[in-house]
Amino acid sequence: MGQGTPKNRADLIFRWLSVACAIVVVVIIAGIFIELSRHSSLAFQQFGFNFLIDDNWDPVSHQFGAASSIYGTLVSTLIAMVIAVPMSLVIALFLVELAPPRLSRIIGGGIELLAAIPSIIYGMWGLFVFAPFMRDYVQPLLGDTLGFLPLFQGPPMGIGMLTAGIILALMILPFISAITRDVLQMVPKVVKESAYGVGATTWEVTRKVSLRYGLRGTIGAMFLGLGRAIGETMAVTFVIGNAAAISASLFAPSHTIASSLANEFAEAVEPLYSSSLVALGFILFVITIIFQGIAHLWLTRVRKSVEG
Amino acid sequence: MMAVPRSIIGRRLADNIVKMISGSAAGLGILALAWILFEVFAKGAAAINWTFLTAMPTPPFIEGGGLANAIAGTLLMTAIATLIAVPIGLLAGVYLAEFGHENRLAVSVRFLANALMGTPSIIIGLFIYTLIVVPTRTFSGYAGALALAILMLPVIARTSEDILKLVPNELRESALALGVPRWRTTVGIVFRAAKSGLLTGVLLAVARVSGETAPLLFTALNSRLWISSLAEPTANLTVTIYKYAMSPYPDWQQKAWGASLLITAGVLVTTIAARLIIQRGRGGSGR
Amino acid sequence: MGKNRIEIPRVEVGDRSRTAVKFDALPSKISVSHLNFYYGKIQALHDNNLEFKQNYVTAIIGPSGCGKSTHIRVFNRIYQLYPEQRAEGEVIIDGEDVLRPSVDLLTLRKKVGMIFQKPTPFPMSVFENVAYGLRMHYKMNKSEMADRVVDALKRAALWEEVKDKLQKPGTALSGGQQQRLCIARAIAVEPAVLLMDEPCSALDPVATTKIEDLIDELRHNYTIVLVTHNMQQAARVSQFTAFFFEGRIIEFGTTSMIFTNPKEKQTEDYITGRFG
Repeated sequence: MGQGTPKNRADLIFRWLSVACAIVVVVIIAGIFIELSRHSSLAFQQFGFNFLIDDNWDPVSHQFGAASSIYGTLVSTLIAMVIAVPMSLVIALFLVELAPPRLSRIIGGGIELLAAIPSIIYGMWGLFVFAPFMRDYVQPLLGDTLGFLPLFQGPPMGIGMLTAGIILALMILPFISAITRDVLQMVPKVVKESAYGVGATTWEVTRKVSLRYGLRGTIGAMFLGLGRAIGETMAVTFVIGNAAAISASLFAPSHTIASSLANEFAEAVEPLYSSSLVALGFILFVITIIFQGIAHLWLTRVRKSVEG
Repeated sequence: MMAVPRSIIGRRLADNIVKMISGSAAGLGILALAWILFEVFAKGAAAINWTFLTAMPTPPFIEGGGLANAIAGTLLMTAIATLIAVPIGLLAGVYLAEFGHENRLAVSVRFLANALMGTPSIIIGLFIYTLIVVPTRTFSGYAGALALAILMLPVIARTSEDILKLVPNELRESALALGVPRWRTTVGIVFRAAKSGLLTGVLLAVARVSGETAPLLFTALNSRLWISSLAEPTANLTVTIYKYAMSPYPDWQQKAWGASLLITAGVLVTTIAARLIIQRGRGGSGR
Repeated sequence: MGKNRIEIPRVEVGDRSRTAVKFDALPSKISVSHLNFYYGKIQALHDNNLEFKQNYVTAIIGPSGCGKSTHIRVFNRIYQLYPEQRAEGEVIIDGEDVLRPSVDLLTLRKKVGMIFQKPTPFPMSVFENVAYGLRMHYKMNKSEMADRVVDALKRAALWEEVKDKLQKPGTALSGGQQQRLCIARAIAVEPAVLLMDEPCSALDPVATTKIEDLIDELRHNYTIVLVTHNMQQAARVSQFTAFFFEGRIIEFGTTSMIFTNPKEKQTEDYITGRFG
């Protein structure tokens, strides 16, 4: 009779009930994997590996290539990361080292509220408020000053890759800055005090000591932010313009995997069309899981190295 | 051979520049928040009136009309999702915190719960579509509620686990030493001690899910009719916002703002309530 | 309710052979034989053999990590909460080996009560705290429940201080009061044995004195095992003392003998503060 096995029948039932509920999570993930691969098999059989690299997405001629969606997903995410990561780092620095405690709490709370705002609200604001702002002020400015770069050429429409990237940055900002904040706060006071004691400035202490201490945790935060940006749907759908094309310009409209799914699923009656959309979803799911796995492994290594 | 000291002025300048940048970045973040909230409240308030809250939707260009069915639909589906997700998520959290600890199953479940939390909500919607909508040949409010429940489940499980782990082991041992059976110790004593934290986890999950659109696109879809049965397409605020916002009709767009205001207000109130509960719980009987 | 006060013969220090006869004549509440205990692969208790006499206070002393708490946690099998912990041997309480798998844990834990180092009031009112175990093990009407709660609080020397605070949360009491509340909670279910694991270590000196006086009173109705790192406390409160070191029982005898005339050098070193 094993130690720790309850003999009381109610205890036994309780324990097994809790195990069952825990297994529900496993079942769901497995279910998603199975269902998505089942319904996308038609598209994969039809197009094979070409599905991933063909950039021709044409429902009319039954040609479906995922490359433009994948491109849109990657570029919009890249823009978001380029903006959000440095911004999160300095915001975390501000909250932990520079701001007095009350101010830090208030502003920190405000930044965290950005995470609570639903995606569709970002979409509404993006479409009706921010995109016009981009079109009327920011994009013309960028076109005039940096227009020699192919990145900033083309008519300023407001909606497009750049706007989507900026809104995505706003959405992942609170996640990355919250983790970075925790990382900076975990640096032992004595370490920071020794650094200050040698006569270093705040920025030098942060750059050379705190960030190095928490480098791995910060990178883990970046992975998590990345994972979120890749799957964001509604905000992106509203402002990215829904065009199945790859363009060098950030002003051009585009689409992501998530936005294609949202936009086109209702019209995808024909089996190959809908299977191709599910195939897109399958690709997105696999990418997300891989990133989760990388973030998990990375953070586990971080924890082990900190705890020794 | 002589070491040249680095300019103090240069270092101070770099430091001050970074400080300014940090402050500006934080300011920018708050500015964005304020801008978004302002627009939502300003544009949305114009749309909200008694008719908006109580009338049924009308075609564009027709006066009046409201989103009563959508409001009811969102509330109903969120409530059902909560009823499904809370018991399962709570018990899963109990397993992770009380029984599994670090064994292989618990470690896997923890990772998969995190993965599920990071899965885009549109994928969950797609999953329920293939699982339920296709075989039953209809969009339904039940499918929508189920998709929302799957979104809530890992959040409740992980937050419950974290909260339960904070309850000191001595409290459990005291109850067990008194001859209280394990299940009663967990449900009667540990849950009670962790009450506010558990409630906060549920509130945060509800807040997160009530603003979701993508999972409902493929499951509950939307409807112009009142909710007669959940086994049919069910009206809800978020998909309505999507449809109305993308339409070319100004009065529909204004209604979209009104609905946005409702959603935003609901989510913010729930989130802030959850935060207050944590703070009160911490300051209260923590002796 | 409550048992009548039993008069217990004083144990004399004297000629060893005379004490030995007196010792064996006393009834043993708990008999430990060849007890070994493991945390995973690590052995924490080595071949422990010990007798705990009914209605006496037996103190267990020793340096940190010597196995004192581990030893008493075997008596109510609370260690079974942790799957990697394991006990082998025999622990006989009232004629029954409690390490047998067939033993009903709920009944065992009603008979053997435990007080922990940190006071652990349940998140409920003072009254409900004391009534919790009663509700679990007995069916009784409201007035009888109230009587039992009051009685337990009186026997734990807490009644006077909480009689007008019965509905306040248990956590609102002071540390010493909380610990006496835990004692009241434990004795409400009428145990035969009370295991006390360093019950005063989180309390101030005044509260500690109150608890020590309480222990002295309680032993007339219960058998008490007191784990303590405070030697003066052991000397004040107990009649028998066992000295543990690295999971082994180095010496056992009457308290006065252990503290004034120990047989083993290790015991003497510990008593005089040379280590630990």
